[in-house]
Amino acid sequence: MKKRRMAVMLVVFGLFLLVSSPVLAQEGAETSGGSMAKGLIGLGAGLAIGLAALGGGIGQGTTAGSAQQGIARNPGAADKMFVPYILGLAFIESLVLYAFVIAFLLKGMM
Amino acid sequence: MEHGFTWFSRLPFIADDPERQLIFTTIFIAAVLFIISATVFNSIKKSTNPLIPQKKLSFQNFFELVIQATINIMKDIIGHHAEKYLPLIGGLFVFILFCNLLGLIPGFIPPTSNLYTNASCAIIVFVYYNYQGFKEHGIKYLKHFAGPIVILAPMMFIIEVISHLFRPLSLMIRLYGNISGDHQVLNIFSGLVPLLVPVIFLILGLMVAFIQAFVFATLSTVYIGLAVSHEH
Repeated sequence: MKKRRMAVMLVVFGLFLLVSSPVLAQEGAETSGGSMAKGLIGLGAGLAIGLAALGGGIGQGTTAGSAQQGIARNPGAADKMFVPYILGLAFIESLVLYAFVIAFLLKGMM
Repeated sequence: MEHGFTWFSRLPFIADDPERQLIFTTIFIAAVLFIISATVFNSIKKSTNPLIPQKKLSFQNFFELVIQATINIMKDIIGHHAEKYLPLIGGLFVFILFCNLLGLIPGFIPPTSNLYTNASCAIIVFVYYNYQGFKEHGIKYLKHFAGPIVILAPMMFIIEVISHLFRPLSLMIRLYGNISGDHQVLNIFSGLVPLLVPVIFLILGLMVAFIQAFVFATLSTVYIGLAVSHEH
Protein backbone atom coordinates (compact mmCIF):
# COMPACT_ATOMS: atom_id res chain seq x y z
CA MET A 1 0.00 0.00 0.00
CA LYS A 2 2.71 2.40 1.00
CA LYS A 3 4.79 1.51 -2.02
CA ARG A 4 1.90 2.23 -4.36
CA ARG A 5 1.41 5.63 -2.79
CA MET A 6 5.09 6.41 -3.21
CA ALA A 7 4.91 5.34 -6.85
CA VAL A 8 1.93 7.61 -7.50
CA MET A 9 3.72 10.54 -5.90
CA LEU A 10 6.83 9.88 -7.97
CA VAL A 11 4.77 9.76 -11.18
CA VAL A 12 3.07 13.07 -10.34
CA PHE A 13 6.43 14.66 -9.54
CA GLY A 14 7.87 13.35 -12.80
CA LEU A 15 4.93 14.78 -14.73
CA PHE A 16 5.56 18.17 -13.12
CA LEU A 17 9.19 18.07 -14.15
CA LEU A 18 8.27 16.98 -17.65
CA VAL A 19 5.74 19.75 -18.06
CA SER A 20 7.78 22.52 -16.52
CA SER A 21 11.21 21.73 -17.94
CA PRO A 22 10.79 23.23 -21.45
CA VAL A 23 9.60 26.50 -19.94
CA LEU A 24 12.54 26.70 -17.55
CA ALA A 25 14.98 25.84 -20.32
CA GLN A 26 13.70 28.61 -22.56
CA GLU A 27 14.37 31.33 -20.04
CA GLY A 28 18.11 30.98 -20.11
CA ALA A 29 18.31 31.14 -23.87
CA GLU A 30 16.98 34.63 -24.35
CA THR A 31 19.16 37.33 -22.83
CA SER A 32 18.59 40.64 -24.54
CA GLY A 33 21.59 42.96 -24.45
CA GLY A 34 19.69 46.18 -23.67
CA SER A 35 21.25 49.53 -22.89
CA MET A 36 21.95 50.89 -19.43
CA ALA A 37 18.75 52.93 -19.31
CA LYS A 38 16.57 49.92 -19.91
CA GLY A 39 18.26 48.05 -17.11
CA LEU A 40 17.76 50.96 -14.75
CA ILE A 41 14.07 51.20 -15.66
CA GLY A 42 13.68 47.50 -14.97
CA LEU A 43 15.48 47.92 -11.64
CA GLY A 44 13.20 50.82 -10.79
CA ALA A 45 10.08 48.84 -11.60
CA GLY A 46 11.24 45.90 -9.50
CA LEU A 47 12.22 48.12 -6.58
CA ALA A 48 8.91 49.99 -6.75
CA ILE A 49 6.72 46.93 -6.41
CA GLY A 50 9.14 45.22 -4.01
CA LEU A 51 9.31 48.10 -1.54
CA ALA A 52 5.57 48.66 -1.80
CA ALA A 53 4.92 44.99 -1.06
CA LEU A 54 7.27 45.24 1.94
CA GLY A 55 5.43 48.21 3.43
CA GLY A 56 2.01 46.86 2.59
CA GLY A 57 2.90 43.49 4.11
CA ILE A 58 3.95 45.10 7.39
CA GLY A 59 0.81 47.24 7.47
CA GLN A 60 -1.58 44.42 6.66
CA GLY A 61 0.18 42.14 9.13
CA THR A 62 -0.34 44.65 11.92
CA THR A 63 -3.99 45.09 10.93
CA ALA A 64 -4.72 41.37 10.83
CA GLY A 65 -2.85 40.79 14.09
CA SER A 66 -4.79 43.44 15.98
CA ALA A 67 -8.08 42.22 14.52
CA GLN A 68 -7.35 38.70 15.69
CA GLN A 69 -6.35 39.95 19.13
CA GLY A 70 -9.61 41.84 19.29
CA ILE A 71 -11.59 38.76 18.28
CA ALA A 72 -9.71 36.63 20.82
CA ARG A 73 -10.57 39.06 23.61
CA ASN A 74 -14.17 39.54 22.55
CA PRO A 75 -15.47 36.92 20.11
CA GLY A 76 -18.89 38.54 20.11
CA ALA A 77 -17.51 41.57 18.33
CA ALA A 78 -16.24 39.56 15.36
CA ASP A 79 -19.24 40.45 13.16
CA LYS A 80 -18.94 44.17 13.81
CA MET A 81 -15.20 44.14 13.19
CA PHE A 82 -15.47 42.50 9.77
CA VAL A 83 -16.35 45.55 7.67
CA PRO A 84 -13.79 47.99 9.17
CA TYR A 85 -11.18 45.22 9.00
CA ILE A 86 -11.73 44.57 5.29
CA LEU A 87 -11.86 48.31 4.58
CA GLY A 88 -8.57 48.87 6.41
CA LEU A 89 -6.94 46.10 4.43
CA ALA A 90 -8.31 47.58 1.21
CA PHE A 91 -6.92 51.03 2.00
CA ILE A 92 -3.47 49.63 2.75
CA GLU A 93 -3.61 47.47 -0.34
CA SER A 94 -4.51 50.38 -2.59
CA LEU A 95 -1.15 51.99 -1.82
CA VAL A 96 0.61 48.83 -2.97
CA LEU A 97 -1.53 48.85 -6.10
CA TYR A 98 -0.45 52.40 -6.93
CA ALA A 99 3.10 51.08 -6.96
CA PHE A 100 1.94 48.15 -9.10
CA VAL A 101 0.47 50.54 -11.65
CA ILE A 102 3.65 52.62 -11.62
CA ALA A 103 5.73 49.48 -12.14
CA PHE A 104 3.50 48.72 -15.13
CA LEU A 105 4.07 52.21 -16.53
CA LEU A 106 7.82 51.74 -16.11
CA LYS A 107 7.64 48.39 -17.85
CA GLY A 108 5.83 50.10 -20.72
CA MET A 109 8.75 52.55 -21.04
CA MET A 110 11.27 49.76 -21.56
CA MET B 1 -2.17 43.44 -21.72
CA GLU B 2 -1.45 40.48 -23.91
CA HIS B 3 -3.85 37.66 -23.68
CA GLY B 4 -3.88 34.29 -25.37
CA PHE B 5 -6.94 32.72 -26.84
CA THR B 6 -10.29 34.32 -26.09
CA TRP B 7 -13.70 33.02 -27.06
CA PHE B 8 -14.87 36.38 -28.30
CA SER B 9 -11.94 36.63 -30.71
CA ARG B 10 -13.78 34.04 -32.82
CA LEU B 11 -16.69 36.40 -33.47
CA PRO B 12 -16.51 38.16 -36.84
CA PHE B 13 -16.99 41.86 -36.12
CA ILE B 14 -14.92 42.25 -32.96
CA ALA B 15 -12.07 39.87 -33.65
CA ASP B 16 -9.07 42.15 -34.15
CA ASP B 17 -9.93 44.98 -31.75
CA PRO B 18 -9.38 44.37 -28.01
CA GLU B 19 -11.53 47.37 -27.04
CA ARG B 20 -14.48 46.07 -29.00
CA GLN B 21 -13.97 42.73 -27.25
CA LEU B 22 -14.03 44.52 -23.91
CA ILE B 23 -17.25 46.35 -24.72
CA PHE B 24 -18.80 43.16 -26.01
CA THR B 25 -17.81 41.32 -22.81
CA THR B 26 -19.41 44.04 -20.70
CA ILE B 27 -22.61 43.89 -22.76
CA PHE B 28 -22.52 40.11 -22.41
CA ILE B 29 -22.37 40.38 -18.60
CA ALA B 30 -25.17 42.92 -18.60
CA ALA B 31 -27.30 40.65 -20.79
CA VAL B 32 -26.66 37.63 -18.53
CA LEU B 33 -27.59 39.66 -15.46
CA PHE B 34 -30.69 40.99 -17.19
CA ILE B 35 -31.87 37.49 -18.12
CA ILE B 36 -31.22 36.15 -14.60
CA SER B 37 -33.04 39.02 -12.93
CA ALA B 38 -35.94 38.70 -15.36
CA THR B 39 -36.31 35.00 -14.50
CA VAL B 40 -36.12 35.76 -10.78
CA PHE B 41 -38.69 38.53 -11.13
CA ASN B 42 -41.03 36.20 -13.01
CA SER B 43 -40.62 33.39 -10.49
CA ILE B 44 -41.40 35.75 -7.60
CA LYS B 45 -44.42 37.11 -9.48
CA LYS B 46 -45.76 33.65 -10.26
CA SER B 47 -45.28 32.08 -6.83
CA THR B 48 -48.34 32.05 -4.59
CA ASN B 49 -46.45 33.00 -1.44
CA PRO B 50 -43.17 34.79 -2.18
CA LEU B 51 -42.21 34.96 1.50
CA ILE B 52 -41.48 31.23 1.63
CA PRO B 53 -37.98 30.58 0.27
CA GLN B 54 -37.46 27.98 -2.41
CA LYS B 55 -36.24 24.55 -1.42
CA LYS B 56 -33.22 24.17 -3.68
CA LEU B 57 -30.48 26.65 -4.46
CA SER B 58 -31.78 28.85 -7.24
CA PHE B 59 -31.08 32.28 -8.63
CA GLN B 60 -33.89 33.61 -6.48
CA ASN B 61 -32.20 32.37 -3.32
CA PHE B 62 -28.90 33.84 -4.49
CA PHE B 63 -30.41 37.27 -5.06
CA GLU B 64 -32.30 37.16 -1.75
CA LEU B 65 -29.06 36.34 0.04
CA VAL B 66 -27.11 39.10 -1.70
CA ILE B 67 -29.79 41.74 -1.20
CA GLN B 68 -30.33 40.85 2.47
CA ALA B 69 -26.60 40.93 3.23
CA THR B 70 -26.20 44.22 1.34
CA ILE B 71 -29.08 45.85 3.22
CA ASN B 72 -27.69 44.70 6.57
CA ILE B 73 -24.24 46.14 5.87
CA MET B 74 -25.73 49.36 4.47
CA LYS B 75 -27.88 49.79 7.59
CA ASP B 76 -24.79 49.42 9.75
CA ILE B 77 -23.01 52.16 7.82
CA ILE B 78 -25.69 54.65 6.76
CA GLY B 79 -28.38 54.11 9.38
CA HIS B 80 -32.06 54.60 8.50
CA HIS B 81 -33.18 55.15 4.91
CA ALA B 82 -30.43 52.82 3.74
CA GLU B 83 -32.82 51.05 1.34
CA LYS B 84 -33.04 54.23 -0.72
CA TYR B 85 -29.51 53.65 -2.01
CA LEU B 86 -29.86 49.90 -2.53
CA PRO B 87 -30.43 49.96 -6.34
CA LEU B 88 -27.05 51.54 -7.09
CA ILE B 89 -24.99 49.70 -4.48
CA GLY B 90 -26.56 46.29 -5.07
CA GLY B 91 -26.35 46.73 -8.83
CA LEU B 92 -22.69 47.71 -8.63
CA PHE B 93 -21.90 44.79 -6.34
CA VAL B 94 -23.56 42.15 -8.53
CA PHE B 95 -22.18 43.61 -11.76
CA ILE B 96 -18.61 43.81 -10.48
CA LEU B 97 -18.85 40.36 -8.88
CA PHE B 98 -19.96 38.79 -12.15
CA CYS B 99 -17.29 40.68 -14.11
CA ASN B 100 -14.60 39.45 -11.72
CA LEU B 101 -15.86 35.87 -11.76
CA LEU B 102 -15.86 35.81 -15.56
CA GLY B 103 -12.08 36.20 -15.44
CA LEU B 104 -11.76 32.79 -13.77
CA ILE B 105 -13.22 31.01 -16.80
CA PRO B 106 -10.43 30.23 -19.28
CA GLY B 107 -10.75 32.22 -22.48
CA PHE B 108 -12.48 35.25 -20.99
CA ILE B 109 -10.97 38.60 -20.07
CA PRO B 110 -12.66 40.16 -17.04
CA PRO B 111 -13.99 43.60 -18.02
CA THR B 112 -12.84 44.97 -14.65
CA SER B 113 -9.20 44.34 -15.55
CA ASN B 114 -9.49 47.42 -17.75
CA LEU B 115 -9.32 50.96 -16.37
CA TYR B 116 -12.23 52.32 -18.39
CA THR B 117 -14.89 49.95 -17.05
CA ASN B 118 -13.83 50.76 -13.49
CA ALA B 119 -13.64 54.47 -14.26
CA SER B 120 -17.25 54.51 -15.42
CA CYS B 121 -18.39 52.74 -12.23
CA ALA B 122 -16.31 55.04 -10.01
CA ILE B 123 -17.47 58.24 -11.74
CA ILE B 124 -21.10 57.17 -11.37
CA VAL B 125 -20.50 56.69 -7.63
CA PHE B 126 -18.76 60.09 -7.36
CA VAL B 127 -21.56 61.98 -9.12
CA TYR B 128 -24.23 60.05 -7.24
CA TYR B 129 -22.98 60.70 -3.71
CA ASN B 130 -22.43 64.39 -4.35
CA TYR B 131 -25.93 64.62 -5.85
CA GLN B 132 -27.40 62.85 -2.83
CA GLY B 133 -25.47 65.15 -0.51
CA PHE B 134 -26.88 68.26 -2.20
CA LYS B 135 -30.35 66.71 -2.21
CA GLU B 136 -30.16 65.95 1.51
CA HIS B 137 -28.57 69.17 2.80
CA GLY B 138 -29.17 71.71 0.05
CA ILE B 139 -26.43 74.31 -0.27
CA LYS B 140 -25.29 73.52 3.29
CA TYR B 141 -23.62 70.43 1.86
CA LEU B 142 -20.66 72.68 1.06
CA LYS B 143 -20.10 72.99 4.83
CA HIS B 144 -18.77 69.42 4.72
CA PHE B 145 -15.84 70.77 2.73
CA ALA B 146 -15.12 73.74 4.96
CA GLY B 147 -13.83 72.08 8.10
CA PRO B 148 -14.62 73.10 11.69
CA ILE B 149 -12.83 76.47 11.91
CA VAL B 150 -14.02 79.46 9.84
CA ILE B 151 -10.59 81.08 9.35
CA LEU B 152 -9.05 77.92 7.96
CA ALA B 153 -11.97 77.31 5.59
CA PRO B 154 -10.28 78.41 2.32
CA MET B 155 -7.33 76.10 2.88
CA MET B 156 -9.51 73.22 4.08
CA PHE B 157 -11.77 73.64 1.05
CA ILE B 158 -8.90 73.01 -1.37
CA ILE B 159 -7.64 70.00 0.61
CA GLU B 160 -11.11 68.48 0.90
CA VAL B 161 -11.85 68.93 -2.80
CA ILE B 162 -8.60 67.19 -3.71
CA SER B 163 -9.30 64.35 -1.30
CA HIS B 164 -12.81 63.97 -2.73
CA LEU B 165 -11.41 63.85 -6.26
CA PHE B 166 -9.04 61.10 -5.19
CA ARG B 167 -11.89 58.87 -4.07
CA PRO B 168 -13.07 57.75 -7.53
CA LEU B 169 -9.44 57.50 -8.65
CA SER B 170 -8.53 55.15 -5.81
CA LEU B 171 -11.72 53.10 -6.30
CA MET B 172 -10.83 52.69 -9.97
CA ILE B 173 -7.16 51.84 -9.50
CA ARG B 174 -7.84 49.43 -6.61
CA LEU B 175 -10.24 47.32 -8.64
CA TYR B 176 -8.09 47.47 -11.76
CA GLY B 177 -4.87 46.54 -9.97
CA ASN B 178 -6.39 43.67 -8.04
CA ILE B 179 -8.22 42.03 -10.91
CA SER B 180 -5.57 42.49 -13.58
CA GLY B 181 -2.84 41.42 -11.15
CA ASP B 182 -4.77 38.33 -10.16
CA HIS B 183 -5.47 37.51 -13.80
CA GLN B 184 -1.79 37.86 -14.65
CA VAL B 185 -0.64 35.67 -11.78
CA LEU B 186 -3.07 33.01 -12.98
CA ASN B 187 -1.80 33.47 -16.54
CA ILE B 188 1.86 33.13 -15.56
CA PHE B 189 1.41 30.09 -13.35
CA SER B 190 -0.80 28.22 -15.79
CA GLY B 191 1.85 28.90 -18.43
CA LEU B 192 4.61 27.66 -16.13
CA VAL B 193 2.97 24.50 -14.76
CA PRO B 194 -0.35 23.71 -16.44
CA LEU B 195 -1.08 20.80 -14.11
CA LEU B 196 -2.84 21.18 -10.72
CA VAL B 197 -0.91 24.27 -9.61
CA PRO B 198 -3.34 26.84 -11.17
CA VAL B 199 -6.10 25.41 -8.95
CA ILE B 200 -4.57 27.24 -5.97
CA PHE B 201 -4.69 30.51 -7.86
CA LEU B 202 -8.24 29.87 -9.04
CA ILE B 203 -9.31 29.54 -5.39
CA LEU B 204 -7.39 32.71 -4.57
CA GLY B 205 -9.11 34.34 -7.55
CA LEU B 206 -12.53 33.41 -6.19
CA MET B 207 -11.69 35.16 -2.92
CA VAL B 208 -10.24 38.21 -4.65
CA ALA B 209 -13.26 38.48 -6.95
CA PHE B 210 -15.68 38.48 -4.03
CA ILE B 211 -13.63 40.73 -1.74
CA GLN B 212 -12.99 43.36 -4.39
CA ALA B 213 -16.67 43.58 -5.36
CA PHE B 214 -17.49 43.80 -1.64
CA VAL B 215 -14.90 46.52 -1.04
CA PHE B 216 -16.11 48.59 -3.99
CA ALA B 217 -19.72 48.40 -2.81
CA THR B 218 -18.82 49.06 0.84
CA LEU B 219 -16.65 52.07 0.05
CA SER B 220 -19.42 53.52 -2.13
CA THR B 221 -21.78 53.04 0.80
CA VAL B 222 -19.35 54.78 3.15
CA TYR B 223 -19.04 57.75 0.78
CA ILE B 224 -22.82 58.05 0.46
CA GLY B 225 -23.15 57.70 4.24
CA LEU B 226 -20.61 60.50 4.82
CA ALA B 227 -22.36 62.74 2.31
CA VAL B 228 -25.91 62.35 3.68
CA SER B 229 -25.12 62.08 7.41
CA HIS B 230 -26.45 64.67 9.83
CA GLU B 231 -24.07 65.71 12.56
CA HIS B 232 -25.84 65.67 15.88
